[in-house]
Amino acid sequence: MLAQLRGIVKTYGAVEALRGVDLELRPGEIVGLLGPNGSGKTTLLKVIAGLLLPDRGGVTVLGGSPRRCRGAVAYLPELPYLPGWMRTAQVETLFRRIFPGFRVDSFRELIGVLRVPDRPVRGLSKGERGRLELAAILALNAKLYLLDEPLGGLDPVSRDRILQSVIAAWHKEAGFVIATHLVAEAEPLFDRVVFLREGKVVLDAPAEELREKGKSVRDVYLEVFGDVGLPVA
Amino acid sequence: MKLDPSRGPIYLQLAQEITRWIARGDLLPGDRLPPVRELAKRFRVNPNTVVQVYGELERQGITHTQRGRGTFVREDVEVAALRRALLQEAAASFLEEARALGLTLEEAMAALQEVVHARPTEGDR
Repeated sequence: MLAQLRGIVKTYGAVEALRGVDLELRPGEIVGLLGPNGSGKTTLLKVIAGLLLPDRGGVTVLGGSPRRCRGAVAYLPELPYLPGWMRTAQVETLFRRIFPGFRVDSFRELIGVLRVPDRPVRGLSKGERGRLELAAILALNAKLYLLDEPLGGLDPVSRDRILQSVIAAWHKEAGFVIATHLVAEAEPLFDRVVFLREGKVVLDAPAEELREKGKSVRDVYLEVFGDVGLPVA
Repeated sequence: MKLDPSRGPIYLQLAQEITRWIARGDLLPGDRLPPVRELAKRFRVNPNTVVQVYGELERQGITHTQRGRGTFVREDVEVAALRRALLQEAAASFLEEARALGLTLEEAMAALQEVVHARPTEGDR
């Protein structure tokens, strides 16, 4: 087991972002964390990454507290994190210095798969920047990869390359959690889907099991969230 | 080939696609199937799903896996039988559509004839 969460509650002032979340993450699995904006996906990822402490409930990541194993957890934030002056080579140097297990070979391979041009970050398109930031995170030598909206706001070609890069980075010992609201595009990638609605897990099931019953993940998503009225691509 | 997640499990759709490769001669008896990750990348699917696809093909007696070497099309696979099975499936859905439209078997056969005559080169192949 890579991570285990029990009864996680997290509130921001009067807003209850997570209202008793149970979740288990296992090696070799790619989990789709799905739900509309504001359903608690980012808060949940930050709790697993050890960036936020829950108000109540228990989190175990790699057998310990999430704060103690941050090196083994790779987290891609939703918002851009690299400074504008950096080029690919400088990102490589920085990551090598900060993270001892940073895999340079895989970083270079991912830069190729994701076709990131060698220009300073500020000269990259939004899609290219997102792809570079993802490449750096996927090249970390982690056991658990938490990707917050890696496809959000990007063009179809970028989204397609990102899906391929996750497959390139996948291995049996690592787990992936991909938070997204772009369900249709990403669904063939998921072993398991977890639907989050208003801070609660309303569905946790193997994706093929849903399709066995004749419904795509997207169909089920529309049933569960149809009344919320947010876009599904 | 495009996967359609609302048409049942992806592993079955992919297993059928590989069967089609063998039926068409794109893969020959004894040929090695692509490594799991490569096929996963090509179809943008989960690598575990591809493992399941290879398991299903093995269960159907179409492939066999040699530890450490990969998955191969069996030498004794009956390509003609695979072809027939795939065509029968297509025929069944054709017939189903004809019945849904309230047409008789004769009318369905006539429609097939018409298509053959309208596209003679394809019909002759």
